Amino acid sequence: MNKIIVCALLIAGSISFAQELPSLTLKDLDGNNTDLNKLVEGENVFVFSFWATWCVPCINELDAISEVYEDWQDETKVRLIAIATDDTRTKKRIRPMVNGKGWEYLVLYDDNQDLKRALNITTLPHTIVLKNQKIIHRRTGYNPGVEDELYELIKNHSN
Amino acid sequence: MNSMNSLKTTQTKPKTILLKKITLFIVFFHFLPTSYGQIIDGLSIGFESNSAWYNDDKKTGDFTDEANNDQDKHFRANNYLKIDYNFLSKFTASVQIESYEPFALINYSTNFEGTNLGTYSLHYKTVNLGATIGHFYEQFGSGLILRNWEDRQLGINNALFGGKVSYRLMDVVDLTALYGNHRVGFETSDGTIFGFNSEFELDSIFKWDETALNIGFSYVGREEKIDLENPNFEPITDAFSGRIDFSYRNFYSSVEYVTKSEDAIVQVNQISNDFIKPGNGFLLNTGYSKKGFGLDATFRRLENMSFYSDRKKSGNVFFENIINYTPGLTKQHDYLLTNIFVYQAQSAVSFLDPGLLKVGEIGGQLDLFYNLKKETLLGGKYGTKVAFNASYWAGLKGAFDYANQDYETDVFGFGEKYFSDISLEIRKKWNPKWRSIFYFVNQYYNKKEVEGIFGAKPIATNIGVVESTHKLGKGKSIRIEAQRLWSDTQDHDWIGGTFEFNLSSKISFYINDIYNNGNDTSTAKTHYYNMGGSYNKGATRIGLNYGRQRAGLVCVGGVCRFVPEATGLTASITMAF
Repeated sequence: MNKIIVCALLIAGSISFAQELPSLTLKDLDGNNTDLNKLVEGENVFVFSFWATWCVPCINELDAISEVYEDWQDETKVRLIAIATDDTRTKKRIRPMVNGKGWEYLVLYDDNQDLKRALNITTLPHTIVLKNQKIIHRRTGYNPGVEDELYELIKNHSN
Repeated sequence: MNSMNSLKTTQTKPKTILLKKITLFIVFFHFLPTSYGQIIDGLSIGFESNSAWYNDDKKTGDFTDEANNDQDKHFRANNYLKIDYNFLSKFTASVQIESYEPFALINYSTNFEGTNLGTYSLHYKTVNLGATIGHFYEQFGSGLILRNWEDRQLGINNALFGGKVSYRLMDVVDLTALYGNHRVGFETSDGTIFGFNSEFELDSIFKWDETALNIGFSYVGREEKIDLENPNFEPITDAFSGRIDFSYRNFYSSVEYVTKSEDAIVQVNQISNDFIKPGNGFLLNTGYSKKGFGLDATFRRLENMSFYSDRKKSGNVFFENIINYTPGLTKQHDYLLTNIFVYQAQSAVSFLDPGLLKVGEIGGQLDLFYNLKKETLLGGKYGTKVAFNASYWAGLKGAFDYANQDYETDVFGFGEKYFSDISLEIRKKWNPKWRSIFYFVNQYYNKKEVEGIFGAKPIATNIGVVESTHKLGKGKSIRIEAQRLWSDTQDHDWIGGTFEFNLSSKISFYINDIYNNGNDTSTAKTHYYNMGGSYNKGATRIGLNYGRQRAGLVCVGGVCRFVPEATGLTASITMAF
């Protein structure tokens, strides 16, 4: 098994590539289909935040960004898309929670985790930053203050 | 010693082949000419490793693994390497290699053994057409009729191995057809699953703006040979699901009804040829939400909805061969003491004893979210966020005939109470540096009915939690949790706490402990402590933990599994590229 791990790291280490999003269509809170690759067209920076209603650090992160999201958008035109990975057990809590918290993000359902699986995400929260339809940054986990680092990155990549 | 050697030889072979395949794969990527950049654009890799060193514990006993009949192999590791590759713009190839060496972590099914290809598939997709051969994951509607998913933490992977075709018609109708066998460890199920799903977006057809209306219809069939003489039931069991999803402005509602045709009741791996029953499920959800306010209510009734690809696997603790998804619809709590008494959905028929007759469950839950505005009396300077949840579950009411192994149920009758849970959460930001969460839970847990343990008395508990986070600047912060559980018995009287220190946005440390001051024979006067740290960089996360795990239910996504007590050092690595 160790050899396999070494091999995997070899592949990964030897390439620092810019990945694209898989061609998937997800539903928004109103049930409308959203084609991911169409969504991220254009030159602005997009942030995909993978979360779930039962994930406390995820909610802390989205709450923290929510407080400064207007400023972020004014200055960089960045758009945050919150990918809700809740399965059926907690899916029904997404809509009232998002509205109850007054979040202004576009929220998409990934209830059987097709997108999460395609991007090989195993731990929540997970954040992906896209520019020109390519992934330029990924991050697992949230500690208070991470949102400031994220914003520095967004600013650096905004025109 | 001999048996160990022979074990090793048998395992080397597939491993070598596997390594050769991987080496080829690397060579392929390293020596491809000019289009290198484009080729790796389509590559996505994920790696996860969870390993443990279980040690003998002076307080709770020596390490032992009953499932593998082993006391010697203290080190265990589960490793997953998944590679997805998009090519020619329309194709995706996926493989997942899994390794459980020398054995899987304790509490995993012994079918996860050795190193092998776990899943592999080839997927073709255009705008309207999708086709997959190999392993795939699918869900029809809410999953009440069919769901395939992976949960590595619980050791669930019931991917179907076969083929699937989906087509989107005129941008308003989605059609899916599938055929396959369940993945069980590294093998497949004896029973075969075939299904069809359709979803119609009626609002798109009628060009409604403020109204959304979708309807869905599914069929799932399971065929498994019967080894009985003169069986009173059919090899094929049919299940149908009809659904309506509706929303108008801030109001929304959905309803689903599922039926399952007559099939033998299976109890403790025994198929009864004289206890043949159909099953059904009903799910209703409705809610209203606008900015700063959300209300949601769910009602569900399940009767004999246990559904497996191999009949004899009904109710197995590893969730192998499971066709449908019936999670416990209660709030998923986040704190250690709020997760001691966890409800599991009761969808199966159990007629093992005249004193414990179960055929399903009925109940519901209510959620309320409210944002107290800034600059108001209760909202304060930064506003206050309030979340309320209540759930109630009971057995079905009806006439149960133990002697003749038969029953009749009342459609909306509530039987014996199984569980209730009321919780209130208040999130408050005091100033830019301090924020707190106040959490209160009241629970009722009918242990006898839910776990099938005779003589167990229902337990009523009150749990209080206070959590505070203090930002120290430059990515440094501390988080403190204090928890307390009071109960109406002498057995459970818990106290707990957590201290977490985030050194930077990359490194954090934590320590927690829970302790039962009551008389409960399995947990009393024992510290269940854990300490550890984690390092995050980009999409890489490394975690290290040492501690004592309480015996109990581990729940992820509404599915729970009982795990025994264990003490040890665990390490986890996740990476994504």
